[in-house]
Amino acid sequence: MGKILIVDDTLFMRTLLKNILFSGGHTIAGEAADGDDAIEKYKELKPDLVTMDVVMPKLNGIEALKGIKALDPNARVIMCTAVGQEQMVKLAIKSGARGYIVKPFQAPKVLDEVKNILES
Amino acid sequence: MVEIPVKIERQGTWHGAKLAVEKDQITVPAPFSMQIPYRQVIDLTERKNILTLTLKGPPEITLSLATVPKALQVLKKVIIMSCSAYRLAAYFMSPAVRGGVLVKEARWDKGSIAVLKTVLWFVSEDKQICIPLRDVTGIELTTRDVQNKKVDVVKIDHMEGTDVVTSFILCPLSTLQVLFNFLKDTTKDMDMRGDELDPLSAQVGMLVYSGMDSHAIETMLSVSTNELEGVYDKLLKLGLIEVRYVRREVQMTPKGVRFITEAVKPPAG
Repeated sequence: MGKILIVDDTLFMRTLLKNILFSGGHTIAGEAADGDDAIEKYKELKPDLVTMDVVMPKLNGIEALKGIKALDPNARVIMCTAVGQEQMVKLAIKSGARGYIVKPFQAPKVLDEVKNILES
Repeated sequence: MVEIPVKIERQGTWHGAKLAVEKDQITVPAPFSMQIPYRQVIDLTERKNILTLTLKGPPEITLSLATVPKALQVLKKVIIMSCSAYRLAAYFMSPAVRGGVLVKEARWDKGSIAVLKTVLWFVSEDKQICIPLRDVTGIELTTRDVQNKKVDVVKIDHMEGTDVVTSFILCPLSTLQVLFNFLKDTTKDMDMRGDELDPLSAQVGMLVYSGMDSHAIETMLSVSTNELEGVYDKLLKLGLIEVRYVRREVQMTPKGVRFITEAVKPPAG
């Protein structure tokens, strides 16, 4: 079970992920609504894992991922994007993302992926 | 010729037999005494180690066979590659995404795609994937990076049990277009205008897709049970959801209140 930071600019998706992760026994370390906030919260909360939306205002998810990796090269980040933005996958993996989920997603699969990454 | 021990279903009873798998046909010995030319097979579906063949009619005949997985694999490959189907050489990646999570070990397999009456088969050296056409939830002609080149692919979203799976097919564009048009036409019953749902119903739909139960949905969207029931009715009417089970909400009777009250009293003496 891990302490997880949820980063997404929509309250709906944050709430959904929070419910899914909570049902899997994880603790929600905190939430951020943009990339800048994500980096600040990462510094402050030192979560075990981050779920990071790709398209966000201010600093997008890829840039925030790079920022977090610069702070902590071992950071575990799962990128989260909408259908049709799969071209971002390569860029995210190259930038150090451990996993990738595409919206809409199914709770059991997300929990499996989180578990695998936390155990890796 | 290869002989495969199988069980064959006839009028609800399973009978043991040895199938002779020949170049152009399968021979089923007595008591069935049938010769099945591969070209006569128009459909082949699989469910838990049971293969069901549909033979050209009229009337169409269906035959269910069960055997061990290894023998089943041999049998499937022979039938799929020789039956009456639209077949094309292609690369496929299946599954590429499962339940929204990218499959890390996903790779392109070189093989064949066979489109039969009710199913689509992906067949390669080591994979045989059956996608019933009724389980196809989305088709898209799109592009994908393959060895740093943008190439046209058909993206197929389909159900595998309760999982939503995405697969990709890669072959020449003209063939992709034929396949895309066929699949689009086959699944046109599922097409919607896109404006059927109000924002609340769309949010409820998204939460159901993600696996949230009614209680979680009510809490997340701050809606009452009655409001949620209304949304469910709308989604049911549109054929977007089905009832999994009905959960009861109960309250104590006077007898129950008395029992619980007594039960929590400290023991006398």
